[in-house]
Amino acid sequence: MTQEKLINRLEATQHLVDNAPEVLIVAGPGNAKFDLAGTGDRAQNFYIWNSLGMAPSIGLGLALAQSTQKVIVLDGDGGTLMNLGAFATIARMAPSNLVHIVWDNGQYQLTGGQLTATATVTDLAAMGKGAGIKNAVEIRSLSEFKAGLSTWLSEPGPWLIVAKTDDNPAPARPPKDTVQIKLRFMEAISAQ
Amino acid sequence: MNWADRVIEKLKANRLEMICHVPDSVLSHIISQTEIDPFFTVVPLTREEEGVGVLTGAYLGGKRGILLMQVSGLGNSVNGLASLAIPYQIPFLMLISQRGELGEFNPAQVSMGQAARPVLDALHIQHFTLDRVDRVDTLLDGAIKTAYASNRPVALFISTEMVGWKTEK
Repeated sequence: MTQEKLINRLEATQHLVDNAPEVLIVAGPGNAKFDLAGTGDRAQNFYIWNSLGMAPSIGLGLALAQSTQKVIVLDGDGGTLMNLGAFATIARMAPSNLVHIVWDNGQYQLTGGQLTATATVTDLAAMGKGAGIKNAVEIRSLSEFKAGLSTWLSEPGPWLIVAKTDDNPAPARPPKDTVQIKLRFMEAISAQ
Repeated sequence: MNWADRVIEKLKANRLEMICHVPDSVLSHIISQTEIDPFFTVVPLTREEEGVGVLTGAYLGGKRGILLMQVSGLGNSVNGLASLAIPYQIPFLMLISQRGELGEFNPAQVSMGQAARPVLDALHIQHFTLDRVDRVDTLLDGAIKTAYASNRPVALFISTEMVGWKTEK
């Protein structure tokens, strides 16, 4: 059996927005939001410019407030490790409309590639399961991402998807006007 | 009506539905009463900064809320306030049980208790102190109005002058 290459964040993010063009996406600091911007700027994108660890918490609050809409969180392993308690809070509140995708490349890519704990010993999907998120899976290829996406978007969650990615740098940058990001995101929700 | 029931009444009157909290004994009545009231969505946190994120998401989705915590939790929340709530202009109320001031028995509570207001001042987050039961209505209504008019978090400290200080067990 040939080993399929690891997931490329930009390709997977592109597949996500192509298949769910209206879906609300909260993107964590660093490459998660850069590659989301690389698929094209949308009003339904909420870009987090600094707050490492806050992406799943923002996604949880949004999913609870907008319970009839799917909410996607895109974050990295660094952000996830900073706020592991979010797994427990998400599991406890159990919003069925939340899909939490962690792009796990085992490193703090933007600060020089220092290894995170997931590079060696830590299994984020197992931690999510241990926290009580029943639908927690690890995937390693784009074909698994493509095969799973329709299930995550249609079946009740919360879902935790730990996607093992390569470390290709993200070329794009999103807008920096934080108030404008907020306002147009809120307008996009009220228009739906 | 005790002060905590007055607070709950004011949260309802001002449509603050999302209650995020890390428990504190002073806040326990508010937590237990809002948990059984279907008007509220109660989110128990593992760490207070999570609440800054949850309330940001809730606000984006059209719901208002409050973060209930002990003053230590303000220390745990600082980067969330500075990097998320302030630059993105996210309003919510923080109701903070004061430690480290009048009647404190625990030396490890003192520094954060004393730093709390200077930290908020440094962030330009307005704060007020609830020290008498007859001020609950005015301070709750006023703090909530200021938060949502200014699009920023506003803090209310619960003074031990009103609720008494914690006795050592």
